[in-house]
Amino acid sequence: MDAVDLELRNLTYAKVVELGRVPAAAEVAVAAGCHPEEVVVGWRRLHDQHALVLSPATAEIRMANPFSAVPTAYRVHAADRWWYANCAWDAFGICASLHVDGQIETSCPDSGEPLSIVVRRQRPDNKRLLFHCLVPAARWWEDIVFT
Amino acid sequence: MNLFRSEERIEHWLGAREPGATITVTKLSELAHAWWGDHLAPDWRPRSREQNQAILGRLHLTGEFWRLP
Repeated sequence: MDAVDLELRNLTYAKVVELGRVPAAAEVAVAAGCHPEEVVVGWRRLHDQHALVLSPATAEIRMANPFSAVPTAYRVHAADRWWYANCAWDAFGICASLHVDGQIETSCPDSGEPLSIVVRRQRPDNKRLLFHCLVPAARWWEDIVFT
Repeated sequence: MNLFRSEERIEHWLGAREPGATITVTKLSELAHAWWGDHLAPDWRPRSREQNQAILGRLHLTGEFWRLP
């Protein structure tokens, strides 16, 4: 990753924290002092480097991992805000990246039963839950939305 | 990448599909903190494949399933 892409990547993530959500290209363009199309072109390079994930239908971000730009089954309360995570791994990742305790709200994909986990000092309060990853690591980026 | 109440729920959810890998939620939290802990740092730099694989290895997530491309 070259210096230009690194700066755009870090600016984009800084805006995630500032706004409490994944930013639009226009918002990052204002912060960068450039045209939104330049941001989108840079984001496409970052997408190709797996540094974020663009929506196939728009020029906007779908995932600034661990944060999701769209509603998901994983809601996380951390740093006085609610966030969407892309998956269970990312839900814990939001607490990890913000370096705060948090609360994860989701449901069992099989039964639909609500699951609530408090993360305190990096540890979950409900230690009986299990995490299942269906797709082997070698294929995660074949379809990062379904893993 | 989902959370389940029990092994039985995972098996029922999988149905005829090939199982992936199951770990405890405690290990998942350890993994997430090792993986994402530096992600918002102002001096963040991308990790190499080897560095990512080493994170998995330190948590004993080894074998073909956890081998990164």
